[in-house]
Amino acid sequence: MALLELKGVTKIYQQGKIEVPALRGIDLTVEAGEFTTIFGPSGSGKTTLLNLIGCLDKPTAGTLLFNGRELSQVDKKGLARIRRENIGFIFQSYNLIPVLTAYENVEFAIRLLNKHDKKELKDRVMEILAAVGLEGLENRKPNELSGGQKQRVAIARALVKEPKLILADEPTANLDSKTSEEVLEIMVKMNQELGTTFVFSTHDPRVMEYAARLVEIRDGLISLDRRRDGTGVSH
Amino acid sequence: MGFVFRLALKNLARHRLRTIVSIAAIAVCVMVVVFARGLVEGIINSVINDHIYYNSGHIKVIDRQYREQERLLPLNYPVDGLAGGSLDEMMAELEGIEQVEMVIPRLKFGAMISTEAELVIMTGWGIDSEKELEFTNIEDHLAQGRMPSPGKLEVVMGTKLLEKIGRQVGDKVTIVFSTAFGSLNGVTFTIVGRLHTGLQLLNEYVFFLPIDQAQRLLYMEGQVTELLLVTKHLNSVPQVLPSVESLIAGKGEAERYGALSYREANDMIAWADIGKAIYNVIYVFLILLACIVVINTMLMIVQERTREIGTMSALGVERRGIVQLFLVEGGIMGIVGSFIGALLGGGLNAYLAQAGLDFTADLEGVSAEVLFDTMVYPESSWTNAVFAFILGVVIVTLSCLIPARRAANLEPTVAMRDA
Repeated sequence: MALLELKGVTKIYQQGKIEVPALRGIDLTVEAGEFTTIFGPSGSGKTTLLNLIGCLDKPTAGTLLFNGRELSQVDKKGLARIRRENIGFIFQSYNLIPVLTAYENVEFAIRLLNKHDKKELKDRVMEILAAVGLEGLENRKPNELSGGQKQRVAIARALVKEPKLILADEPTANLDSKTSEEVLEIMVKMNQELGTTFVFSTHDPRVMEYAARLVEIRDGLISLDRRRDGTGVSH
Repeated sequence: MGFVFRLALKNLARHRLRTIVSIAAIAVCVMVVVFARGLVEGIINSVINDHIYYNSGHIKVIDRQYREQERLLPLNYPVDGLAGGSLDEMMAELEGIEQVEMVIPRLKFGAMISTEAELVIMTGWGIDSEKELEFTNIEDHLAQGRMPSPGKLEVVMGTKLLEKIGRQVGDKVTIVFSTAFGSLNGVTFTIVGRLHTGLQLLNEYVFFLPIDQAQRLLYMEGQVTELLLVTKHLNSVPQVLPSVESLIAGKGEAERYGALSYREANDMIAWADIGKAIYNVIYVFLILLACIVVINTMLMIVQERTREIGTMSALGVERRGIVQLFLVEGGIMGIVGSFIGALLGGGLNAYLAQAGLDFTADLEGVSAEVLFDTMVYPESSWTNAVFAFILGVVIVTLSCLIPARRAANLEPTVAMRDA
């Protein structure tokens, strides 16, 4: 069963009396464990697509199935639950909570699941921080970390709850090339070791090099969908 | 909840000055509430107590005709016993009623003293000194000397009255008054004590003499103008009053004598209760003033943390969780501010409850009939501080619902926007 299935997904934003179509009938299927990059020029609809896939927003028309569940009838509380339990987010600007330490930022995500005791929780957070190379930095606050370290914390925060899907919005946009590569390698490693599904949006050609599948979006439509192994459809 | 509390504390520490200003606003308003409530309670309780001590007792038994002409101090409507019995028997019967602790007789009459410059008009109160000392707070006001002794021609006067007549303790004074038969009488008394009080009535208009002397000089042996009943508790007045009325009615004297509770004897008591209720509403508005500062601060915080709130929402925090976080932040400010305010207000009241506030100059022209002590002592009680503390915490926390709801209504998509 596909993890994500979008059929004829349309998203129209209302700006006063004007309707602005951001997505115009997207069909896309993402299998579990895929490492997919969505790319395209600014304003093409990448972030809108990520918002819908990430259950942050609902489509205006069409159907969106997450792990086989149709989302159009799910209320906000239900969407929050799906996000909490199944989706991890990595943001371009890291979006760490500035008053919390690296440890606490990661702890925050796993605490929301409310299913670990204190010891388990601590072990899990320390383990994931070590896995992203932040051992010894757990007590630092975001303003005491470099850009790469912040993004590692964000990755740890996304991974700690072992989600089915991780969405990364331009994760390397604020990083230098060396740090970008380090961060991407961590994500590839996690994808391979844990089988977590990754969906990126990016402009960065280096990110595309790491992707197993490339989806190009233009003017709210998919113009290219190609896997490294050669399968896929050019639109 | 522990994590939310920790996060709320850290959030509040982000902009310390802003948090301190909000807490200070709450503290000042709560302090004002504690002080204002203590002051109002102090004034009202003082008025009620003075009214009970020097006017009505807990229950006052008087002739119904006397009640209508009370201001004229008539001597022809006395209380002199039930159904032909003596005054002493009547007092004994009233004292026999359950919950009645004491019956105090008073004989009030008009009198005057002629000085070289003017004729000073006064009111004489024939009293049982021992009982008055036991019931009232007159001892606190006895600045010099002692109360008059039974069987002796002695009087006690207020400081201002003594000034008016140019006398002092130890001097003799001749007082002129009209007897029950309407004849004029003039008697010379020794001044044995001086009262100094903020109550204009006692300070300037009343002189006390032994009740036996008053009865003898006014030709009113076995008679008084009023009997004041003191019950064991003020709360038991509603239960005791019907017993007093039925005793009087049982003796066939219902048409002659009336029994009035302290509340009936003065409309001001009911007004005081209304006043307290109105002030309680005003206190809520005072705290709401502080809330304007807090709401403003919190709205700024929501604005500043839009992306952060969106991120939390994206991570799966539900609306309720975000509302909870902001309520906890507001609640912490409410608790700290209210605690400081209650502490400062309580301290201020404790100090002023001893030192008092002197309103003598401001109340110069107020009628002596208004039993208002110009020295006001705010009520210092922990319940007052607790009331203001709870009021502060509840209103501040509830007011944070406005910014909290605004935060909770932010869409999680804001997390995806560029910085």
